[in-house]
Amino acid sequence: MHLTLRALISHGRVARRMGLGPESRINMLRNILTGLVRHERIETTRARADEVRFYAEKLIDYAKKGDTNEKSMKMADFWLTEKDLIPKLFKVLASRFENQSSGYTRMARLPNRENLDRAAMAVIEYKGNPFPPLFPVKKENELNLVNQLLKGYREERAQLTGFQD
Amino acid sequence: MAVSSRRAGGVVGSVRLLRSLQHQDGRLFSTSVARHTAGSEGQPPKFVPPSKPVIIDKAKSQASLRQFLSPEFIPPRQRTNPVKFAMERKDMIQRRKILNIPEFYVGSVLEVTMLDPHAASKTNRFVGICIQRSGKGLGATFTLRNIVDGQGVEICYELYSPRMKHIEVLKLEKRLDDNLFYLRDALPEYSTFDFDMKPVHLSPTQDVPVNQIKVRMKPRPWSKRWERPKFNVQGIRFDQCLTPEQMEHAQKWAEPWRQYDMLKEYDTSSVEEKILQEVQAELNK
Repeated sequence: MHLTLRALISHGRVARRMGLGPESRINMLRNILTGLVRHERIETTRARADEVRFYAEKLIDYAKKGDTNEKSMKMADFWLTEKDLIPKLFKVLASRFENQSSGYTRMARLPNRENLDRAAMAVIEYKGNPFPPLFPVKKENELNLVNQLLKGYREERAQLTGFQD
Repeated sequence: MAVSSRRAGGVVGSVRLLRSLQHQDGRLFSTSVARHTAGSEGQPPKFVPPSKPVIIDKAKSQASLRQFLSPEFIPPRQRTNPVKFAMERKDMIQRRKILNIPEFYVGSVLEVTMLDPHAASKTNRFVGICIQRSGKGLGATFTLRNIVDGQGVEICYELYSPRMKHIEVLKLEKRLDDNLFYLRDALPEYSTFDFDMKPVHLSPTQDVPVNQIKVRMKPRPWSKRWERPKFNVQGIRFDQCLTPEQMEHAQKWAEPWRQYDMLKEYDTSSVEEKILQEVQAELNK
């Protein structure tokens, strides 16, 4: 039943529609966020990872205010369904990011899921986690012929400039 | 005026004599004669305007005056270029230097005179209670409500309209809510204000009083279901118009997750401070 045009036009809306409704969306994001805080790197669909990213960063901002802050404690209590993660949030994660002001998470896209739905997947992690990096740094092999020749060239150049000085 | 006895008899001739007297007796009252600078005798004396009186009220320090930033200065959370807001702010400050827009809140009683080409006296005047302040930037509006001859009248005025002639606050106060649309369904006594109401003075150092009044309503149905938690109305006497079962039924529409939804929060405190300083500096120039 179309009551207002405002409900149909979604200009400027930042929240995606997920699940069965606004309550379902928040509950889903709550579960994903709890998993993220527990495991520090999780794999979900792209849309959910993108939504949870904002909430993950805001939760860290609240955690930085300290656990004596009433509002922070209420937020942590609401968003983390497994209550043993609340001390982890305030002690481990807040202290890890105390020198940064934003950008506590990293998101990378993955190949589509193997199921029938072929869902677009993404991995989202808190920076500073103990796992190997998502984007591994490839080391150039020093012992290739080309690299050895280049190394020799650089050394000769350095010698020449040393003579000229 | 105290005139020193030395001057009572003598005739003051040249300016130089007067100036020497000025140094001896500090209570020389300033006349136009004293202000002329003595140039060389042939040229006419150059006029120096008197210094403007600066009123410094030592009783109230600058810090104790209440600071108010009008809500239309705070930019909304959008993807627009901040240059737009900066330009609008400049124009708003320019207009405020010409027309004095006082500090007021939703729930204060205002008197507005607008220019009207079709009226006999070319102006029209309206007195009412402010029920909402909406809009940002130059399009900021406020709506005044009053009951005239038994008919409820709401007029929405634009703060920065060039037709605005005069805005005065007759009674400065706040209410428990930030919009008072429920007055449309309240008893008429809460919306009637005398057109010849005398202004009630509030000192600039006092905090703005919050009127804790809880309004009595006409029988239901109302224009909106004010008991629903989405409106979050604090200023209605629900116990007189609704049963506890109806109140509980209304709580079904409560969304308890909303207060924890960080996406909906917009923290304006840092932005407000910066803009307040900017606006005050510009206005004092």
